[in-house]
Amino acid sequence: MKKAAAILAVLLLLSAAVAFARGQGGETGAPTKVVVKTMAYGDQSNPEGVNWLRIVDYFEKDNPNIDIDFELLYDEAYHQKVVARLAAGEVPHLAYMGADARWGLPWQEAGQQWDHRPYLDPDYYDLSLIPEMGPNGEIWEIPLGTSNITTVLFMNENLTRSFGFSAPKTYGDMAAMAPKAKAQGLDVVSIDGADGWAWGSCLMSGVIARISGDPHWVSKAVEGQHKFTDRAFVDSLAFLETMVEDGVIYSKSVLVDYGANLSNYSNEKALFMVQGQWIAGSIENPDVANNTLMMAWPELPGEKPATAGSVAAAIQVGYGLTKAGGSDPAVRDAAFTFLQTFYSHEETTQRLRDGAIVAPILKHFKVPDDMPSLVKQKVVLAQSAMNTDVIDAFLSGAPNDALNAGMQKIVSGQATAREIAAEVESLLRK
Amino acid sequence: MIKRDTKALLTYFGFILPGLVIYLFIVAYPIFYSAWLSITDFNPNRGGAWNFVGFLQYRTMFADPYFWHALKNNMIVVAVSVFGQIPIGFALAYILFRRLVRAGSFYQSMVFFPHFLSTIVIGTMWKRLFQADGPVARLIQILSGDPSAQFDLMLRENTVMYPIGFALIWMYTGLYMIIFLANLQKIDTNMIEAAKIDGAAEGQIFFRVIVPLLSGTILVSMTLAIAGSLRGFDLIFSMTTQGLQRMNAEVLPIFMYRTAFQDYRNEMRFAYGAAISNIIVVISVALIVLSNYIGRKLRGGEEY
Repeated sequence: MKKAAAILAVLLLLSAAVAFARGQGGETGAPTKVVVKTMAYGDQSNPEGVNWLRIVDYFEKDNPNIDIDFELLYDEAYHQKVVARLAAGEVPHLAYMGADARWGLPWQEAGQQWDHRPYLDPDYYDLSLIPEMGPNGEIWEIPLGTSNITTVLFMNENLTRSFGFSAPKTYGDMAAMAPKAKAQGLDVVSIDGADGWAWGSCLMSGVIARISGDPHWVSKAVEGQHKFTDRAFVDSLAFLETMVEDGVIYSKSVLVDYGANLSNYSNEKALFMVQGQWIAGSIENPDVANNTLMMAWPELPGEKPATAGSVAAAIQVGYGLTKAGGSDPAVRDAAFTFLQTFYSHEETTQRLRDGAIVAPILKHFKVPDDMPSLVKQKVVLAQSAMNTDVIDAFLSGAPNDALNAGMQKIVSGQATAREIAAEVESLLRK
Repeated sequence: MIKRDTKALLTYFGFILPGLVIYLFIVAYPIFYSAWLSITDFNPNRGGAWNFVGFLQYRTMFADPYFWHALKNNMIVVAVSVFGQIPIGFALAYILFRRLVRAGSFYQSMVFFPHFLSTIVIGTMWKRLFQADGPVARLIQILSGDPSAQFDLMLRENTVMYPIGFALIWMYTGLYMIIFLANLQKIDTNMIEAAKIDGAAEGQIFFRVIVPLLSGTILVSMTLAIAGSLRGFDLIFSMTTQGLQRMNAEVLPIFMYRTAFQDYRNEMRFAYGAAISNIIVVISVALIVLSNYIGRKLRGGEEY
């Protein structure tokens, strides 16, 4: 009996202590952490992922009351997880997102796009550099930089000059390089043709704008104002056949993936490489990187003057709050505090240096003098060239898959331009 | 007596309850959910509203040429598994069991080695081997004397399954070899000795003694192979690049993934994806039932 009473007394004492301790915690106002659930983009081996980890680490040390609870994924895994999380109702507060068909549709469908305009400090961000993303001018995410140019031609200047050529002014100039390059076992233009998206984003997006003379031909076609079976598009697809016949692009390109393309160019196996602006920072051979000229495609046969010298460009992706994050004041404030660090001048400079962005969207940003030549060239290209639609920013799903695979079929001689155009049109209007 | 039975029953339920609960939530619930989803237009991203649409998703699927293409590729994978991996695995196990080669342990380890590697690593490795001017292309260039020759089977719809089939055999044969080897080691060697005394040749021992004794193992292996083949996603996904290669090599699970996770234009894509998943289950069960039926017929009820 005595033993039972003693145990009961100890239990009561413990309960009282716990209750007292709780009361003390509340009175002293021990800070409760605000958790910002985040979907971040990158992996442990690329600058995006490495920089993310570094930024979160020092941000959390400086802001112990904020917990950036993130999931870091890259490429296909990221897109798959976005769909899965949204479908499961596990909506993050903050996520890497865009405003187009590839990066924005899942968020739009789930009703999770949130307008950032009222919360963007006009003294910090240069709002004139952030494009409208929604039908009423909404801004769904804070882009990492200005427009994302996808159809850049990278020229190895030294190698090209060693063949007695200079920067091409017309497509014919490039075709004239083919016999000499081939004799030396080199490609004229290297492209990661094994990746279907590269044909659409990095080549055809530029070609269709040039040949149609309409910078927004693709978006208009998706809306139904044009057909993919129209002559302009069929001619653009047929231009791929011409490039293969002229030896400007080799049919074996359809077996070259992203890494091999970059390696071919870095190791001087090609005079030119076609890719997006983001690859500039990944050219590892310094001799090649320092002697690379970034340019728009030269004048193409049959191109219209209205779009001469243009490049395809999409709204740059970046981090944005979801409706779930934006509707909670504590989370919203914490997320914006983090974004202020993430988009700081120092981090933006690093992003520029890594070659991840074209130009910053920050006010009073001064580009350091010691920036690599490629970075400076990007800014010039962004400022001088007309921007046109990127295909997969408007076309998604089965029609886009058919177009990407179709261009690979054309290059490998398995289909004609007319057949692929008809297939895309049919799938789009289904 | 009744009291004791009740106690035993309660104990019995106590034992099976945790497993049953886990099974119901993790296995049974998704199956029923998927069946329900496939006859609706439910899209979780568009709120909770849904309508009953009957067999619309199935009709759409049967009218979709991509479905038939993926099904054809899946059947090729099944054929490669059943008629490639299992016989080769069996033959290798028999060679090791009968000690027909020296250094059996070495060969056993080598054949089973791919199982220690991640499927993604294996897929990436084969992708690298098959790329432009990659090792396989270089070999072709040396053998053909044509410096521009490439290994382009992955680019064509009618040839893409050859390299994939080869990779599948390379990866999974070791598993079946180990299964057969384990079962061969359980066989009473006196039966083999008796056959030898009766003058049976090696081939006769294999076909008249070993194969009938292992008919149950063959059936189990076939079941594993069929189920594995129909749900196979990772190796083919990682071996192919996005675009023509993956479209050429598309199997039903990849078709389901592309539909449900990537085709944002289709508002009913989750329901459509569920219909594709259900068909994978139905085909899988049908093939397993068929293989069991054929197995029973061939065995003729013979027991050893």
